Amino acid sequence: MKNIYVLAEHRKGTLRDTTWEALAAARTLAPQFGAEITCILLSNDASTISDRLVQEFSKVIAIEDPSLETFNSDACIKCLVSILGDKSDYLLLMGNSNSVIELAPGLSITLDAALATDCFGFDVVDGALCALRQIYSYKVNALVSFKGAAKMVATLRSGSFPFTPTAQAGGSVEKMESPLKSEKLRKVFVSYEEAEKGDVDISTAEIIVSVGRGIGDEPDMDVYQSLADTVGGVLACSRPIVDKNLLPKYHQVGTSGIEVKPKIYLALGISGAFQHVGGIKGSPLIIAVNKDARAPIFRVAQYGVVADINDMVPALEEKIKEIKG
Amino acid sequence: MKIITCMKWIPDTSEAELSIASGGKDIKKDDLDYDLNDWDRFAIEEAVQLKEKYDGEVTAISVAPEDAEEMLRECLARGADEAFQIWNDAFEGSDGFVIARALAEFIRKRPFDIIVTGTLAEDDGGGQVGGMLGAMLGVPSATLVSRIEIADGKARFRRELEGGLYENIEMELPAVISVATGLNEPRFVSIRAVRKVASIDIPTVDLDELGLDESQVGHSGSRISVEKVFLPPEGEGAEIIKGSTEEAAARLAEILKEKGVL
Repeated sequence: MKNIYVLAEHRKGTLRDTTWEALAAARTLAPQFGAEITCILLSNDASTISDRLVQEFSKVIAIEDPSLETFNSDACIKCLVSILGDKSDYLLLMGNSNSVIELAPGLSITLDAALATDCFGFDVVDGALCALRQIYSYKVNALVSFKGAAKMVATLRSGSFPFTPTAQAGGSVEKMESPLKSEKLRKVFVSYEEAEKGDVDISTAEIIVSVGRGIGDEPDMDVYQSLADTVGGVLACSRPIVDKNLLPKYHQVGTSGIEVKPKIYLALGISGAFQHVGGIKGSPLIIAVNKDARAPIFRVAQYGVVADINDMVPALEEKIKEIKG
Repeated sequence: MKIITCMKWIPDTSEAELSIASGGKDIKKDDLDYDLNDWDRFAIEEAVQLKEKYDGEVTAISVAPEDAEEMLRECLARGADEAFQIWNDAFEGSDGFVIARALAEFIRKRPFDIIVTGTLAEDDGGGQVGGMLGAMLGVPSATLVSRIEIADGKARFRRELEGGLYENIEMELPAVISVATGLNEPRFVSIRAVRKVASIDIPTVDLDELGLDESQVGHSGSRISVEKVFLPPEGEGAEIIKGSTEEAAARLAEILKEKGVL
């Protein structure tokens, strides 16, 4: 590929880290293909955001339009097609954020490009770019090829491409005319909404006892609350527990729930899907109990026990009570 | 209101022990149980709730092999009015692009107001089909939707962003809406409910009815291709505490004490 494009992502006027992670991926790939890196910025106020971008990118293509203040996938597709529509031999990199999850599939059809989503790495096989992804409940790694496509789009898993700023690019911004002026968008932003707050705030808790799918279909939640009380912590959970209405949303740990930074995070029956792990990055000590030895949670935990939590939880509470006397 | 919902039949890998099949391009699936993708269970429920609220009909569609008929039967029991099963063995190994294309070719001939899908499936985790389907049909699409209302020919919905933030969006219909898990409570399906729909015919749809040929589906029609699969090394990361339940519990309690928790 001749060109690598990186889509800058922003929310409420601030660049998001996904932008820099995509640049980090681009920087490792560009030398291998002799490709040039260009940033694409779609926003309502390019000048504020581009100041930071030109420190890291030598070239920024910007489209300014009032409807680009929030991330509108309909508007973004139209803008990206006006920039990339006549181009070939490229890779477009974007963070696999909740906004891009909406944008990427439709965009790939409109651009006629091959799409690999949620990539955590790349490899070059016989000169061709391949992406690394996780499949089957995030338990199996897959090396995926783009089958020689001249137009490629890849979205990147958050936290997989660490970025080191250089602040030395001294780049320039090329503004392009907005293609949105005359067109009515089929989708409009109405408002932001914050998740409901509850009687516990897990984001500030020092000890968290967190439960996941491993608690089974008809769990006795008192068992886990009791363990949380015994260790002086709060009870939290992964997404499936909220989906089943076993705990309210404000107990949910993860990127779409709450990011937590406890001193100790006890993960019980949590497999460790990346959305969940994304919410516990700040925890210095993660202890996991899961009956599946290959559960991804063991890759981020410091200590693990391969066991059924239904057996382990009462035994653990017993031992803790013995120690506390 | 005409509602179409797209379902995926996948192996349940969340709690199962997995191993790599010979050839190294997939896992062994013979011993795995297949079921409706969890995200799609919320999609069919939302489709049926929209029908109950705004009046209409629900059509469930899946690109899935013969065995998946029970899933479509379950969709009828959940409240779908009709179901179609698209299949030809040539679909084996299809990526999201091929599935979206097959669905688009089938849906193109039918009027609809909303297509409801799950945002992701737990097998390939691609999250591609909903958005691709929208683009192929020339209608807008949205993902990770956690609340839907319909008024004045538009959908007003809430979608999940990160960190407990949501955005409320208004979108023209027809459109594709891919839902997040947890936006509703999927109803319990009794054996009686399944029996009641036992006589409903679930037509199968082959490639010729879609105007597609074998080269346009499966591996050859896909835009991306899995070259190799492998299990991440076991034991990477955590120090695994061995022993009986009693012993492991004692060691964990000790660790908590060492860390000053107790």
